[in-house]
Amino acid sequence: MTVISLQRSHFDATAPLARANPVAKLVASTVIAFGLLLSVDVVTAGTALVLELLVLPLAGLTLVALLRRSVVVLLGAVPAGVAAVLFGVDSGATLLDLGPISITEGSLASGVAISLRILAIGLPGIILLSTTDPTDLADGLAQVLRLPSRVTLAALAATRLLGVMAADWRSMSLARRARGLGGDGPVGAVRAAAGQVFALLVLAIRRSTVLATTMESRGFGTDQPRTWARESRLHWVDVVVVLGSVVLIAVAIAAGVAAGTWHLLLT
Amino acid sequence: MTAPSKVVQLPTSDRTPRTPPRIAWAVAAVGVVLGLAIWLIGLPDDVTWFGSTMSDLSLPAGLIVALLFGWIGFSLASARASWRVVDLVVAGVLGVAGGLLFAVWNANYAVISGPLGATPAIALLGGAWLLPGVLGALVIRRPGAAVLVEVVAAVVEGLIGSQWGFTVVWYGLLEGLGAEIVFALLLYRRFGLPTAMLSGAVAGLIIAPVDLVLSYAAQTAGWKLGYVVCLVISGAVLAGVGAWAITRGLARTGALAPLASGRSARRV
Repeated sequence: MTVISLQRSHFDATAPLARANPVAKLVASTVIAFGLLLSVDVVTAGTALVLELLVLPLAGLTLVALLRRSVVVLLGAVPAGVAAVLFGVDSGATLLDLGPISITEGSLASGVAISLRILAIGLPGIILLSTTDPTDLADGLAQVLRLPSRVTLAALAATRLLGVMAADWRSMSLARRARGLGGDGPVGAVRAAAGQVFALLVLAIRRSTVLATTMESRGFGTDQPRTWARESRLHWVDVVVVLGSVVLIAVAIAAGVAAGTWHLLLT
Repeated sequence: MTAPSKVVQLPTSDRTPRTPPRIAWAVAAVGVVLGLAIWLIGLPDDVTWFGSTMSDLSLPAGLIVALLFGWIGFSLASARASWRVVDLVVAGVLGVAGGLLFAVWNANYAVISGPLGATPAIALLGGAWLLPGVLGALVIRRPGAAVLVEVVAAVVEGLIGSQWGFTVVWYGLLEGLGAEIVFALLLYRRFGLPTAMLSGAVAGLIIAPVDLVLSYAAQTAGWKLGYVVCLVISGAVLAGVGAWAITRGLARTGALAPLASGRSARRV
């Protein structure tokens, strides 16, 4: 098992989208996701995806980083589409009939639409979150959105334990190895892994209670108003990012409506 | 020559609610009556919204109103123990651990769900995404713990990258709220196995319609019903029993000693 590191070195920090405030990116990706959730159709999802790909160079992501993350999205998009094609509500001409499994023009179209929509929803998430540092996100949430700073910063402190947890995992693996554990077949491997996960959880909780004491001893968690080392403000780039997302989703929905394929899901 | 250990008095405010429970019940009852009224009378037929009549939305609107009123009433009446720093940081760590669980689960999801194919039984795997919320409520025992842990887990999941993009954060918020409402209804006083199972089941019940709209909109009505049932079962077993067993194991190691759940843990 590899624990994925949150180190960010795979994007150009000076790219316009990378420089935008994380709160603006959050709003933008939410606007796009909610717009796409309203309807399942090929034209709306396809238009949104094409527009997103056009904006992609602004994110400053390296191709390798983008592909590595997109693999996960593709893994989700394809099975969902295939399920709709095989088992979805049938309509139109039958293309293939194998008893309970049948492919018709209607189910094929909705399958393609569902896959496209997952990609179109997933891509902004990949772009925006992979160009955002957790510390900047916490700063933005606490200062721009005014979420409770105590909660936000405690959560940030916990995410900083990720790297330590990865190191703990390696140490435990080496310790088990040195004690001659393992090699009991697949069932034994699963049991050993479960035990190690539990040990990691115990270790993480013990560490976090110590961390909490340390933070309190340095004055964290009092009712006093706090100051910020890194100020998080909104700039014109952020306005452009949010407006851009509104325009993008409006164009996509307009294309769907114009093509006559758009219809609200709740009907 | 050791000094006699001092008996630490726990703050009594841990147990005193701000509002008497009967007010909570009254507020919740008003919510249920309002919700029922919305459902039975129905929203107007002649108003259309994006091509769908408002009356189609009667049931969800009624449910939301009832849940919202119940939530407000019972959170007013619950013992409002305040969050300490240690509660916050442990909630964060549980959230991070949950996010890692999600990442591993997501990466292997295509393989795990393969044998289930495109049957409603695929929802039997859904409970894993509900576990951190229930676990957070059981371990931390503070109002909002389930929501906080589940949301942090979802944010970490999003940061690592998932096939559902940024929507996982909103999913996390809903999943956390679903788990939370059960603990709130019990005034944050019951943290046993039945509560945990009910919490997981309710979280499943609330998240199932979202799944159906987002991923399985094209399926037939029978398929969708099967999906809801499977997700509720999965929530009760994977999330409910799972979180309860993990909490018991953690309490036995003594790691939860600084927390409310560790204080009430039986000494072995």
